[in-house]
Amino acid sequence: MDGDHASEIGGSTVLPADHPVEMSGIRTCFGPTCIHDNLDLTVNRGEILALVGASGCGKSVLLREMILLARPSAGQVRLFGEKVGSLDGAEANRLRRRIGILFQQGALFNSLTVLENISVPLREQTDLPLPLIRDIALLKLRLAGLTPDAAPKYPSQLSGGMHKRAALARALAMDPDLLVLDEPGTGLDPAGADALDELIRDLHQSLGLTVVMTTHDLDTLWRVSHRVAFLAERRILATGTMEELSESADPRVASYFQGPRARAARSISWNRG
Amino acid sequence: MAGTAGSRPAFGSFARRVTPMPPEQRVPGAAPEKGPSGGPARFEWSEDGLTLRLLGSWTTAALSTLDGLWGGRERPVGTVTIDATGLAGLDTAGALLLHRLREDLEGQGISPRLVGLDERRADLLELVVARAQPRSAGLPGGGIHRPRGLERVGRVTLDWAGEGMAMLSFGGAVSLASLRALASPLRVRWRQVLQVVEQDGVRALLVLGMLSFLLGVVIAYQSGVQLRVYGGNLYVVDLVTITVLRELGPMMTAIVVAGRSGSAYAAQIGTMQVTEEVDALRSIGVAPLDLLVLPKVIGLIIALPLLTIFADVVSVVGAMVMSALMLDLSPGVFVRRIPEAVTISSLMTGLAKAPVFAVTIAVVGCYQGFQVRGGADSVGRHTTTSVVQAIVLVLVIDAAFSVIYSWMGI
Repeated sequence: MDGDHASEIGGSTVLPADHPVEMSGIRTCFGPTCIHDNLDLTVNRGEILALVGASGCGKSVLLREMILLARPSAGQVRLFGEKVGSLDGAEANRLRRRIGILFQQGALFNSLTVLENISVPLREQTDLPLPLIRDIALLKLRLAGLTPDAAPKYPSQLSGGMHKRAALARALAMDPDLLVLDEPGTGLDPAGADALDELIRDLHQSLGLTVVMTTHDLDTLWRVSHRVAFLAERRILATGTMEELSESADPRVASYFQGPRARAARSISWNRG
Repeated sequence: MAGTAGSRPAFGSFARRVTPMPPEQRVPGAAPEKGPSGGPARFEWSEDGLTLRLLGSWTTAALSTLDGLWGGRERPVGTVTIDATGLAGLDTAGALLLHRLREDLEGQGISPRLVGLDERRADLLELVVARAQPRSAGLPGGGIHRPRGLERVGRVTLDWAGEGMAMLSFGGAVSLASLRALASPLRVRWRQVLQVVEQDGVRALLVLGMLSFLLGVVIAYQSGVQLRVYGGNLYVVDLVTITVLRELGPMMTAIVVAGRSGSAYAAQIGTMQVTEEVDALRSIGVAPLDLLVLPKVIGLIIALPLLTIFADVVSVVGAMVMSALMLDLSPGVFVRRIPEAVTISSLMTGLAKAPVFAVTIAVVGCYQGFQVRGGADSVGRHTTTSVVQAIVLVLVIDAAFSVIYSWMGI
């Protein structure tokens, strides 16, 4: 799985931009401590980019800056070729519509059923008639690998894996060009995490999505990602395929990708040969 | 084709409206629009009425502008060609719409032939066809039964009865826990009790003092206006002290504490319930009643009588200030009159209610907290309920006290 394959897929929707996300010179400080300094990151269209790094190195913050939920202290973010800093509320919302987000805890609305949860973006952002919205929501539900029985259930009635899938269905509701996944495998059993990995790959292939994800799961990295960005020392220390990073000469990178767990993950990867 | 440009295919689940347009409306000549964005999703018929050209961007965002232009048209016979060459964009929602269009045409005995879809879009359509909910299966989720009429009355009655029973049994559990605490007072979490006294007692002084002062001012003013007419200025002292000490002081305090602390108990325990902290406590072997409820009950039993005395005093001071300003009743005269107006039993009858109110407020607040299920909206609902129930119960109990006192002749 490599870049060539990814670029062929391309978005089937509107206005292709070669780099859905371009971040340059990003600096993020909380008081005196800075977690990003002069960080650059570019996401290519149609790829699955994984963002990795030690806990607390600022992956989630970087993700939040990417999806317009947080603003960096300095630096520039471009989404689909548009500068984010100068946007007003309506323009920012227009960009947000093109991004689907799977939050770490799912963040489903507890007071709504699964189907209603998936319908929320459609009801808020479009004028489509309700029956069609339900039809589309049901399609997304099934695309995310759930059966229609799950539709009338409330989030509290779902298992962890179903919860994640329902949240993924909501992230896909508006047919986003960019899908952002914050720790998709967290809280799932290995089989559930494997199934989710497979689902993300399938959706990526069939819908032509660009995917940005953070993960700690080395299996996911090997199986799903086209390219990995390694965040350390307040910037992106290295990017490349898993093969490249795991054979990196840089000891800081190597120590992350060449531990015993990393080797085990590699040996069972589906992604190679 | 200007007549149909911008039109909306009303299919999806409203297929019955789908009928082709009459010939006179088919304007020849308009070429399909093409371009990267392609405008909103729309379609147009060819002159012979046998080819349907899809135009614009059939994507979620652009679908919104399509609406009902199918009304009152005849249907063609045989095969209809759906020409997707002019399609500027297609996503899953658009593909679903296209799939439903084909289904609808088939349902009317017309066989649709789809042309001009490139490979990628054909794959997308295939995926959507495979995953779309079959029309015949209908949409799930309509199964929620909403009772009406008599059934609803019955269910609400049962709910109320169940709620009453549940609250009683919670009260019983708290009583048992209290008995255990009496047996071994050292096991009570006194630190938490002190926190409650501080948080719900000391920190309530300012707002309670303000309200009580104003209460005294208002009573003195209203009764002074009447008494002055009869020259009975001095009796304002009797009126104010008796009403405040016996009734309004304890009640006012209880209402303020119910709004301020009862709601906080419900919200705190409710949130812990949502985040499974209550279950965590149980699993560690700590009884939630001992840790979360008893300290609050004991703390309020200590704090509420003290707050009531404070409210009594401040109200009387408020009345004294008002009397001096309006009735020319000097504070010295006012104070000397108090022992003649009220006895210690007036104070005690009022104070005796305070611990009962305290238990009521704490138990209702905690009970509602434990009733929280699910998420944020449940916390909000039960917090509101806790305040309403606590205030209603305080008033009912106050009335019961009046009845009991009159029997006892106090």
